[in-house]
Amino acid sequence: MTRAWSWFFSFVALATLAFLVAIFVWQSLPVWHHEGWNYLTGTKWFFRQREFGALPMIYGSVVVSVVALVLAAPLGMGAAVFTAEYLSRKPRLAVKVLIELLAGVPSVVYGLLGILLLRNWIYELFARFDLLSGDTLLTAAVLLSVMILPTVVTLSDDALRAVPATQRRAARALGLTRSETILHVSLPQARRGLSAALLLALGRALGETIAVFLVVGRQDNNLPERLLSLRPLLESGQTLTSKLGSSETNIGYGDPLHWGAIVGLGLILLVLTGALTVLGTGFGKRSDA
Amino acid sequence: MKKAILLALAGSFPVLAATAETLKINGSTTVNLPVAEAAEILRAEQKMDIQVDTQGGSSGGISMLGDGLVQVGMSSKPVSDDDRAKFPKARFREIHIGEDAVALIVSRDVWEGGVKALTKQQIKDIYESKITNWKDLGGKPQRIAFFNKEPGRGTWEVFVHWVYGSPKAAPQVSFPEVGGNEETRNKVAGTRGGLSQLSASWADGKKVFALGIKLDDGTVVEPTNENIATKKYPLSRPLFLLTNGEPSGAAKTLVEFLLSERGQELVKKHGYLRLRDLK
Repeated sequence: MTRAWSWFFSFVALATLAFLVAIFVWQSLPVWHHEGWNYLTGTKWFFRQREFGALPMIYGSVVVSVVALVLAAPLGMGAAVFTAEYLSRKPRLAVKVLIELLAGVPSVVYGLLGILLLRNWIYELFARFDLLSGDTLLTAAVLLSVMILPTVVTLSDDALRAVPATQRRAARALGLTRSETILHVSLPQARRGLSAALLLALGRALGETIAVFLVVGRQDNNLPERLLSLRPLLESGQTLTSKLGSSETNIGYGDPLHWGAIVGLGLILLVLTGALTVLGTGFGKRSDA
Repeated sequence: MKKAILLALAGSFPVLAATAETLKINGSTTVNLPVAEAAEILRAEQKMDIQVDTQGGSSGGISMLGDGLVQVGMSSKPVSDDDRAKFPKARFREIHIGEDAVALIVSRDVWEGGVKALTKQQIKDIYESKITNWKDLGGKPQRIAFFNKEPGRGTWEVFVHWVYGSPKAAPQVSFPEVGGNEETRNKVAGTRGGLSQLSASWADGKKVFALGIKLDDGTVVEPTNENIATKKYPLSRPLFLLTNGEPSGAAKTLVEFLLSERGQELVKKHGYLRLRDLK
């Protein structure tokens, strides 16, 4: 009986997902007809001129999330090494609960803090680069890094705890110091779990909307000429999510092409985060220990 | 097991039924101020269940009303023919409850740097990025940090109507965008060289400052209540409640309240002009 029910609910979950994707594909068909692949590679988004190029937004989303991860990863993993390897059981649980509480703070709260504090800090800190305002890709990335930190810490901690204690004991018995044990035994053995933690955190960063919306500046068509230069980080930009959160969703509604372009952004986002999640959970499951 | 699921399902239905009695309102953050306060009073005095939201500004109000997701929309622009064409089944009815002006607001450094008024041509040049520095407008050297109100917002529509004649005639530009009034005020106040369009009642003269408009004959018109009422100040707009067909039930109570003396006082309290100020 239980088995039948679990099959049933798994099926419902899968069917919902398939239905969702189908709706997104179906609703965004007009824009694929109109733009073709240019929808993904086009750099201009002017809806009144019927031009829909999503590349600047894909760029914005990817840059903001990757920078957030680069900032959060060393900090989060360091914290995880501390909780998993150095703390005894009780304080470890206490620290973990506190960090996981951070993950439960609503994102609009982070966004408002971003407007109140972070915008101004970035604006003043980089004043000599002559920023136009405090709304920059970097502001969004720093804010996101704080938001994904709990994910990185708690999943990395789990990954490190999953390394059998006997391995550590063996390493210590062979004369390795504690830090050598961590560097050469725990971390390498937990690397699948750690990669999974990073991928899932990246997925969370990509999908975050409100907090990014409030500090990223929401400037369309701001694709830098040199993709790897750091200067664009100090300018306003647009991400997939900030576009989806804007009032354009209301304007586009009822116009099949414009609406299709908006839904298409959702589809791109869904594919990106979906791929990361699948990759992340896949990494976590397999173990070569 | 089965029973538990059935119970859980049955339990969720009364919740659905109860929401049907709620009066839902959505739209412009500008119109929201007096309406939210009116809703507060009606909740207390008449025990009405009212939800007021501001998703997507005026366009959000129009589209959610058109979709039947709310019973009352709030808008700071008239319902356009395009909107009517999008929702052929909806019979939009506009109820005029007051008037507001759109101010061009600047940050303190610009104001103190000496820029107090702009001409329409100068504003157009800024919007088209032909002028990008305050020094070309009589101010101190500082890049213009222009925050464009999101297209679809009532404030933006009024602005482009005045500069270009219609939203469709406006060139498409890519500036950083701002949404609600609070966000706009905060961002302009916190940015050197900041400029944006904002509902005049929000321009407090402490954090952000409202520029005058220099007319062709050289006179400068400030967005004061008097200038708005006499239409001397060109950037003003009506504030509407929208209903689908004649308002009835709870929606009617709300509309009548806002048109009553007490409701109109709320309109005035938030810095807008009452209907009788316009005569």
